[in-house]
Amino acid sequence: MKTKKNFMTKEFYLFCFLVVIMLLLAVLAPGFYTLNNIMSILNSFSYILISAIGMNLIILTGNIDVSTGALISVVALACAAIGKMGVPFAGLLVAAMILGALLSTLNGLFITGLKIPAIVATLATTQIFQGVLPLTVEGSIYDLPASFTWLAFKAKIFGVVPASVLICLIVTVFFLLFTKYSRFVKKLYAIGNNRNGARLAGINVDRTVVLSYTIAGALFGITALIVATAGQRVTTTMGTGMEMTFIAAVVLGGTSSSGGSGKLIGTVIGAFILAIVAPAINFLGISPNWADAVKGAIILISVVVSASRNRKRKRVVPAGQKLQTGGGVS
Amino acid sequence: MAETILELKNIVKTFPGVKALSGIDFQLRSGEVHAICGENGAGKSTLMKVVCGVHKPDSGTMIVNGKEEKFSNPLEAYGKGVSIIFQETSLFEEMTVLDNLYLGHEMMKKIGPFSVIDYGAMKQKAEEIFKRLNTKIDLDAQVKSLGMAQKQMVEIAKALTFQANILIFDEPTASLTQREVTALFQIIENLKREGLGIVYISHRLEEIFEICDRVTVIRDGQYISTKDVKETNKDELVADMVGRKMGSYYPKANTKIGGELFRAEHYYDEGFLEDISFFVKKGEILGFSGLAGAGRTELMESICGLTGKAAGKLYLEGQEIEIHNYEEAMEHGIVYVSEDRGKYGLIVDMSVEKNISLPQLKKLKKQLDFLDIRKEKELGETYIREVGIKAPDGEFLVANLSGGNQQKVSVSRALALKPKLLLLDEPTRGVDVNAKSEIHKIISELTGQGLTIIMVSSELPELLGMCDRIYVMKDGSIAGCFDREEATQEAILSVALESKKGVGA
Repeated sequence: MKTKKNFMTKEFYLFCFLVVIMLLLAVLAPGFYTLNNIMSILNSFSYILISAIGMNLIILTGNIDVSTGALISVVALACAAIGKMGVPFAGLLVAAMILGALLSTLNGLFITGLKIPAIVATLATTQIFQGVLPLTVEGSIYDLPASFTWLAFKAKIFGVVPASVLICLIVTVFFLLFTKYSRFVKKLYAIGNNRNGARLAGINVDRTVVLSYTIAGALFGITALIVATAGQRVTTTMGTGMEMTFIAAVVLGGTSSSGGSGKLIGTVIGAFILAIVAPAINFLGISPNWADAVKGAIILISVVVSASRNRKRKRVVPAGQKLQTGGGVS
Repeated sequence: MAETILELKNIVKTFPGVKALSGIDFQLRSGEVHAICGENGAGKSTLMKVVCGVHKPDSGTMIVNGKEEKFSNPLEAYGKGVSIIFQETSLFEEMTVLDNLYLGHEMMKKIGPFSVIDYGAMKQKAEEIFKRLNTKIDLDAQVKSLGMAQKQMVEIAKALTFQANILIFDEPTASLTQREVTALFQIIENLKREGLGIVYISHRLEEIFEICDRVTVIRDGQYISTKDVKETNKDELVADMVGRKMGSYYPKANTKIGGELFRAEHYYDEGFLEDISFFVKKGEILGFSGLAGAGRTELMESICGLTGKAAGKLYLEGQEIEIHNYEEAMEHGIVYVSEDRGKYGLIVDMSVEKNISLPQLKKLKKQLDFLDIRKEKELGETYIREVGIKAPDGEFLVANLSGGNQQKVSVSRALALKPKLLLLDEPTRGVDVNAKSEIHKIISELTGQGLTIIMVSSELPELLGMCDRIYVMKDGSIAGCFDREEATQEAILSVALESKKGVGA
């Protein structure tokens, strides 16, 4: 019954691509593999991946969230406000996750309750999140205490590895297991595959979608905290534009933008590729202004390649089209 | 002994505007295969969807295994022993076979405080089920990699993962080959011997005589009869199903048929159409029959320039013509009405008159780029009147019309282009009986006025009733041609099926 596992998967190709880039960098960009640079890449990889995992849950159901960047700004600022009172990291983490989850649940409720397409609903909440910030704070919160920046400066594993990497590792391993062994993630795949079929299988589609936003929101909260605690100043535009990187990591990782397919491991590789683009460009001596264009090109190429692989499939006869002998004599 | 395990009493179900089921009674015993048959749209599938909780009945009672039940979704029905194998597959293509079998009711085990999916137990159970079904399917394969017959096995296996004792098959043989059908019947036979009750929905009568014990006929949503298969015959069932004489149903007018209007020679499109030659005479209604995927729609779309390049020659009124896109087809007076109103045909959020005028905005242009609104209105009103579209005025939104009236708008739009040759693809699919006969009447009147029509249909009675000649397509080529006098369902079907080896009707 057992068949050999096929290694020629999308994820495998993507991994090869990553290895090639990294080998090229070793040759072309001397100084890229210094300890400092590696640690800084790992840090940005960590916060990108944590949110990309959340984004992946959302995209699996065929939905999307473009408000993530704005949401991260809100959570980051809220963390700063609490952090200024000297609340320790553990407290900040709990607060960030809860606030992130709440705001993101709001997105889920708009989408399912009011039946607004995800992109429209989250576009609206983007404006709301961003609009609220200048009303509460003027530009930024600064002069934050050492207890606030503890994660970035003090919490190093073996004195070198940023603690954000550990958080990321825990989150990733948890979700790898969660994807395989929970009913919940199966439901997400089912909804993205065949919404009506999912309903027929007794899945409460709306509730499941809202929950996917809630869980993703908690993960966005963690990213917000990592980003916020990197310095003594938190601005109102801290997360602006980040959602695109997360969506890019997910799509690059092979998750179909219409939902239903894609593996978490792909998202991990996707996040890593996006995390090294900016520093790689820097070390190659190219203007950092090219970073976004290069990211865009990578995504475009990967989407075109996977689309052309799919196109080879044969044209399918529409369902329900068969010869009918209405009189019943055949 | 055989006991009654499923009983329906006086089930009524209405959809907006249509009474789908009006008082259906039905009993299923354990260890029997009970067929439900009826014409298209008689309500067979609707009835079963009511049974398994997809639709809620307006009234009536349902007794399952001795208890009165009401299901609000299929999963609930499964839990009470009722499983349905859907006509359109309800599987999740990107997921594995195993995931599909247990979706929504995965087996769980405890590891510490966590309850996790127990793949081992699920696999073991699934393997047992497939052994019982005498099939081998890789449990880790993605469903999209399976063939139709295997997908159906997965559906059946899924039903058996619940302890179902009532199994409903909705047109299970529609897309299977003969050998697969034989295998399926063997499985049904085995399940029956295990004491399950099986409801078998089909309109293929010979299948009913092959595997069923009793048969219930419904017609237009009404209960007609229940008979022992051994004590009835085909003619009796057909009489019950049809309930009226065929022929009188189709208002085919005797029209004057002139010379050749259009001819295609050695028409060829790689992978879809193979060396097709046919002609149609002025004033004729020409039919195209064939199984799903035979290439009928592809041929129509290709002729009127919708699918790009195809090799071969086309002649209109003796002159060779070339059609590269749909605009050129329209200029030659060849107009196509698609089978899929929603997708290719109408823009439902626009008004009736706007839909009708859409393909000829150029002609309605007044000055610069402004439309002659009065002309557009006139055009709309003319066709609402002539074709009999049930809309209060031209500004009425197409979305608010019934399927039959939407189809009339589709046809009107084509007619407004004053075509010489009208290509109708499944003109009566998804419309109710009344609208159907109205559309047939319109078609008939049009040929009376000298229009030539090519009609693609999957309903043989419709083609037999309406057409002067019928071409039968098979695997992208023309397999036969029948004159009105010599065409019968049997003859056409045997040509449509022949030589495509091992395919069941």
